[in-house]
Amino acid sequence: MSTAVTHAPAGKPGKRSAPIKGRFTPWFFAAPGLLLLLVFLVLPFVLALVLSFTDQRLVTNEELGTDFVALRNYVRLFEDDSFWAALRNNFYFVAVVTPLQSALALVLALLVNQKLAGARIFRTIYFMPVATTMAVVAVIWSLLYAPDQGVINRFVGLITFGMVGPHDWLREPGLVMPAVMLLSIWQGVGFQMLVFLAGLQSIPLDLYEAAKLDGATVKQQFLYITLPMLKNTTIFVLITTTIYAFQLYTQAQIIASSGASAPIDSFRTMVMLMVHEGFRNGKIGYASGISVVFFVIVLAFSMLQRVLLKEERAVQ
Amino acid sequence: MQANIKQIVKLLALSSALVSGGAFAQASVAVWVHAGPGPEHDAYVASVKAFNDSQKDIKVDLVALPEGSYSDQVNAAALSKKLPCILDFDGPNVYNYAWTKKIIPLDAFPELAAIKADLLPSLVRQGTYNNKLFSLGQFDSGLAVWGNKKLLTQAGVRIPTKVSEAWTLAEFEDAMKKLKAAGVAFPLDMKFNYGVGEWFTYGYSPIVQSFGGDLINRKDFKSAKGVINGPEAIKALTTLQGWVKAGYVNAATKDDSDFVKGKSALSYVGHWTFGDYKKALGDDLVLIPMPKFGAKAVTGAGSWNFGISADCKEPKAAAKVLGFFMSPAEIARVTDINGAVPGTFKSMNANKNFAKGGALEIYAQQAAEKVSLVRPETPAYPMITTAFAEAVNNIVAGGDVKSELDKAAKKIDQNIEDNKGYPVK
Repeated sequence: MSTAVTHAPAGKPGKRSAPIKGRFTPWFFAAPGLLLLLVFLVLPFVLALVLSFTDQRLVTNEELGTDFVALRNYVRLFEDDSFWAALRNNFYFVAVVTPLQSALALVLALLVNQKLAGARIFRTIYFMPVATTMAVVAVIWSLLYAPDQGVINRFVGLITFGMVGPHDWLREPGLVMPAVMLLSIWQGVGFQMLVFLAGLQSIPLDLYEAAKLDGATVKQQFLYITLPMLKNTTIFVLITTTIYAFQLYTQAQIIASSGASAPIDSFRTMVMLMVHEGFRNGKIGYASGISVVFFVIVLAFSMLQRVLLKEERAVQ
Repeated sequence: MQANIKQIVKLLALSSALVSGGAFAQASVAVWVHAGPGPEHDAYVASVKAFNDSQKDIKVDLVALPEGSYSDQVNAAALSKKLPCILDFDGPNVYNYAWTKKIIPLDAFPELAAIKADLLPSLVRQGTYNNKLFSLGQFDSGLAVWGNKKLLTQAGVRIPTKVSEAWTLAEFEDAMKKLKAAGVAFPLDMKFNYGVGEWFTYGYSPIVQSFGGDLINRKDFKSAKGVINGPEAIKALTTLQGWVKAGYVNAATKDDSDFVKGKSALSYVGHWTFGDYKKALGDDLVLIPMPKFGAKAVTGAGSWNFGISADCKEPKAAAKVLGFFMSPAEIARVTDINGAVPGTFKSMNANKNFAKGGALEIYAQQAAEKVSLVRPETPAYPMITTAFAEAVNNIVAGGDVKSELDKAAKKIDQNIEDNKGYPVK
């Protein structure tokens, strides 16, 4: 493309503007995007990094000022039980929700992709929770999880013939994370289903036709046509779900603030801890330290994912 | 052309004067209160309307915000220098707000100095930081135990009627045992539905103090170590944990209805439920003085109060509004609804509920007999209450009492260290 321009005869002084223009054109087009990235992503991160070495407070007596405290925030962070608990909760959530939600989404997509009457209705039904605000979902589910006569308790009692007694889902330390996972999957799975559905519908039907003529069973068609053809879709779903899962905040925060909750360390996530320390306790420096450490962890995790899951691209 | 421009400039000047509400004609004073929809909110709306109707110089705009995130909202507004002229805040936050210069001292306003002289001593103490008065409260709080006379009598429990007759810990636990045996699902309602927040500190720290502990060393307010995690505090919270484990208290309660519906026979809560309880129980409602868990009974003191923010452009007008809120009629408007102890002697004397034989006499007695104790008077209070409330929540859910309180002590001491001991200049 630009090769033609750079190889233009450079002898005549009047034509000199051409190569310069050519060199700057891509930057010119990228500028708006780069500027936004710089202002809203790079700059805040650099600020967080700088602040994490200070004792910056949210609201303070101005005479006290902000001081450099070297690694104090990081030292305290690694001594803080709440930090390790939050990290554990985050990884627990990601490890369970990402595979489960993606698999469930694929199953639902396969179901609603059937050419049956009413498939559209089911698509709508499965997608509806996604269109509902998470705050509303969390409040409704916290009612469903009610300790004595909640719907979930009755349902569990019914299917286990009363063997599993009523549980206080949101207040038992061991149950609160699974409860949050269940409601998160229920709320989010519709979106991934839709992505898988789009992937499924872009698979050419003649592949299946040919397979059928060759005598391939439904199982074989799924394993050797559907799954390989969905590879890029699956990678996209896995990566976005992982990122969403790391950002877990709303539903857990609402559960934390609805009445007496389970011990906070049994379900507080990194993002929650950041908000609690930075905004509620006013320790901006400390919260910046948390965000830097969290950023490094998530970055490492995403890079690992990129290495393990290679996309097939038409354009390299 | 020239004339046209002149006209436009004139128009602009005129319209900007209109927009600013006629800067010389009327001062605008914004007031923030913490109140969801309900009678307390209606009372504030009525107060503001009465004030706006009574004169033309000042216009008050009332903004009511939900209590749950109220202090976060105040922090956010303070950060962007957009605090309203007058804001209300829960008592012990006054020290932090004064220290961070969110609010200004009130001593310089003559109309407020007169009110100070008539203010209840507990409210003067609550509002004073660094020898200056920073806040005025319309009411003081009362903390005690509401009882359902019918259920208590059925279970054969003695009902104390005076502060001197207060239950001891053994009697209190025996009463809960009897009630449980008599079929009351959860004998004691402790309002865990209020959630992890100021209620946990206001409501449950008196139990710690009754046992002889406290939240911080009040000699110099420099450390909580050995106090909030001292043996007395550990004993107090182990006792509280025991009530939940024994099924006397329902820590999972989701609303206010347990006591009203008779699922609980005792309700450990402040004055603010008076209206609802009276409506539901009528003559069966009795007010029982705070039990003596340890050597002496202790109740919380202090309540929401008003201050004038440093961002206020019309502090003199704000002082007038505040003076109006503190008049006996306006105090009565609020305390008639929430059952609080009126904040000035004038308004207290005018209130039948607190006179001898009145429904709320116990609160007046507790205040007079120095049973009540204000929460720690230090700018570190927001951290103290967050740390304590979190520890209580974990303990009630079954956490280890000692290690939870150790964590709270560490957080408080780190906060004091972070702020260089909260120096006063």
